Amino acid sequence: MRALLNSLSKHLLHHQSWSGYWEPVVQCFKPGWREGYFRAQVKHVQVFSEQSVELVIEPEKAWPVHQAGQHIALTIQTNGRLLTRVFTIASEPQLARQQRQIRLLIRSQEFGAFTSKLTNLRSGQWLNISEPKGQFVMPNTARSLIMLAGGSGITPFIAMLKSLPADSKHTITLLYYAKPNSHWLKDELEQLKQSLSNFDYHLLERNKDGDATTWLTTNAHKHWLVCGPAALYKQAAALAKQLNTPIDSEHFSAVPAVLATSDKHELTLTHQGKTFTIDNQQTLLTHLQANKQPVTVGCGMGICHQCQCVKKQGIVRDIRTGELSDSSEQLIQLCISQPVSDVELSA
Amino acid sequence: MKTTKTVNFEKLAAQLDSVKADIKSKLGEQDAKYIRRIIVCQRVFEWSGRILLMLGFIQPVLWLVGVLSLATAKILDNMEIGHNVMHGQYDWMNDKYINSKSYEWDIACDGASWNRVHNYEHHTYTNIIGKDRDFGYGLLRLSNDFRWRVKNLWQFVTYLLLSVLFQWGVSYHEMAAERVFFGKKKGDRDYTVSHSELKKRFFSKGARQLVKDYLLFPLLAGPLFLWVLTGNLAANLLRNLWTSTIIFCGHFTGEVETFNQQDCENESQGQWYYRQALGSSNIKGGNLFHVMTGHLSYQIEHHLFPDLPAKRYREIAPKVQAIFKEHGIHYNTGGFFRQYFSVVKRIVRYSFP
Ligand code: FES
Repeated sequence: MRALLNSLSKHLLHHQSWSGYWEPVVQCFKPGWREGYFRAQVKHVQVFSEQSVELVIEPEKAWPVHQAGQHIALTIQTNGRLLTRVFTIASEPQLARQQRQIRLLIRSQEFGAFTSKLTNLRSGQWLNISEPKGQFVMPNTARSLIMLAGGSGITPFIAMLKSLPADSKHTITLLYYAKPNSHWLKDELEQLKQSLSNFDYHLLERNKDGDATTWLTTNAHKHWLVCGPAALYKQAAALAKQLNTPIDSEHFSAVPAVLATSDKHELTLTHQGKTFTIDNQQTLLTHLQANKQPVTVGCGMGICHQCQCVKKQGIVRDIRTGELSDSSEQLIQLCISQPVSDVELSA
Repeated sequence: MKTTKTVNFEKLAAQLDSVKADIKSKLGEQDAKYIRRIIVCQRVFEWSGRILLMLGFIQPVLWLVGVLSLATAKILDNMEIGHNVMHGQYDWMNDKYINSKSYEWDIACDGASWNRVHNYEHHTYTNIIGKDRDFGYGLLRLSNDFRWRVKNLWQFVTYLLLSVLFQWGVSYHEMAAERVFFGKKKGDRDYTVSHSELKKRFFSKGARQLVKDYLLFPLLAGPLFLWVLTGNLAANLLRNLWTSTIIFCGHFTGEVETFNQQDCENESQGQWYYRQALGSSNIKGGNLFHVMTGHLSYQIEHHLFPDLPAKRYREIAPKVQAIFKEHGIHYNTGGFFRQYFSVVKRIVRYSFP
């Protein structure tokens, strides 16, 4: 049925999708309704510690409940623009099932200024989420577990721990690295420790306690779960290989950006699945042409939009105004976009 | 350039750039809401139009209202939504459907082909004879830049025909059909799209339009086939006449100037702005009028800032006019009839050697 409507819509209404065609109309009745997304209503927003926001939202009924450890893409409309970011759900599936609520814990670190917009959300407002995604869930294993968290990488573990039944037989040790005084949810961890008989945790700081090598090596017989910055993961992964230890992980790398144009920096550009090394001095169009990539060129000065392309990831600077783009998916004009970070363009 | 006034191009560029920057910094919620609201209106007009057309047999007036309603929907789709969205005016919204890459409009001309010629050739090389094929659409002689031919004698009739069939004219023109079909070579134009691809787009989009308006929707109406068919025909005709007229008033009034290829070599931003300024003209009117023209009644502002959301042209216009005045640049504006008369005069004037 949907396929039929879409094809009708394509041929009769010149719109790729039937529901997309009606989207602005539906929005008059169902605020925030968007084709291809789930709706969720804001229940409560709270700045719960310095630079951290807790967001509790209520997904619509059709939303398939997540497994502890999975993440969603969250889309908000802020001043007319749609912005999307990925966050791990920091609450247990039971909460979603019983009260239809999920919780996100977000660090407002980014300079794309997405997270700072979250604090402007009011309860009752609608936003959009994707279905739950990701494979990082409790492993099916008889081994004891080591959870290694770095910074906001604590979120999937909170969800996993909270979803464990009180009589769980799993022996779990959580190693939680964060900057001094910025460990999240200390109270909740303490509560978990009280209620789960085999759970223990350690709040660690790199400067004071050193890295995780000793912890990990002495626990080589356990199953490791790692979530945090890429560097943390790399170290653990290398050790796991050496010691032949099973490891599951989810790691994120904040897009490091070079803001000064004066110095030459090497970056990578991914275009239609191919990756090139580029610098931050030229426009993306110049780089693609230099690498003999098929691109449509027009005016070369930002007027005609012929060179437009979907940027999946990365930050670019508008060479005319110096304005920096957002780091998530959006349309850009190659001829006036200078890379500031690694950039991925879609096919 | 034909006008030998000395303009301080650097200052002009700086002033106009700042007007643009100011609007860019204000873009937001309001603009997003506006375009969505116009889309809602378009949907309402379109579907009430299509339904009313079928009720014509109860009372012919309903048919007439249906025609007007459908024509309004088509005009909104082509002008305020299609033209502007395809210019990239709303790309900043990050909306999956309201952006220049994915929008397709309800007109015989394939969106991507239009985008290529219009956005690139016409907007970059505005009124440069030999580069901007929009000047006269290859049919009309509108300045002394072209040699007079006998066929120019009846070019007013040609113009009327072009208006009646405007969507086809645009489609044929954007494809550079004389080249694609008849192999006529023109200048140094290099295309990234093959002729066969262009042909395919021309025929597939055109055919879809014909089938939709003159076969499928009439068939859906069953015994009311003819009511719907003639209604669609009338709505398309109204839309064609309206768009053609507005576009001619924006580009071919008496005082609009043309340029030659040397004018755009090593052109500075200021010179580019200057050429845009002299190459277009505005039409005065009320709010509704501006919406129905897709704000192309602010053709000057559109040519200066093709990718600013068109509704913003209203607030920019007085500033632009003041800047022009300061530099002694003519700001070509006038009421609809005045501008239209000026266009007619130009077409007739150049019918003769
Ligand atoms: S080539 Fe014209 S906008 Fe980039």
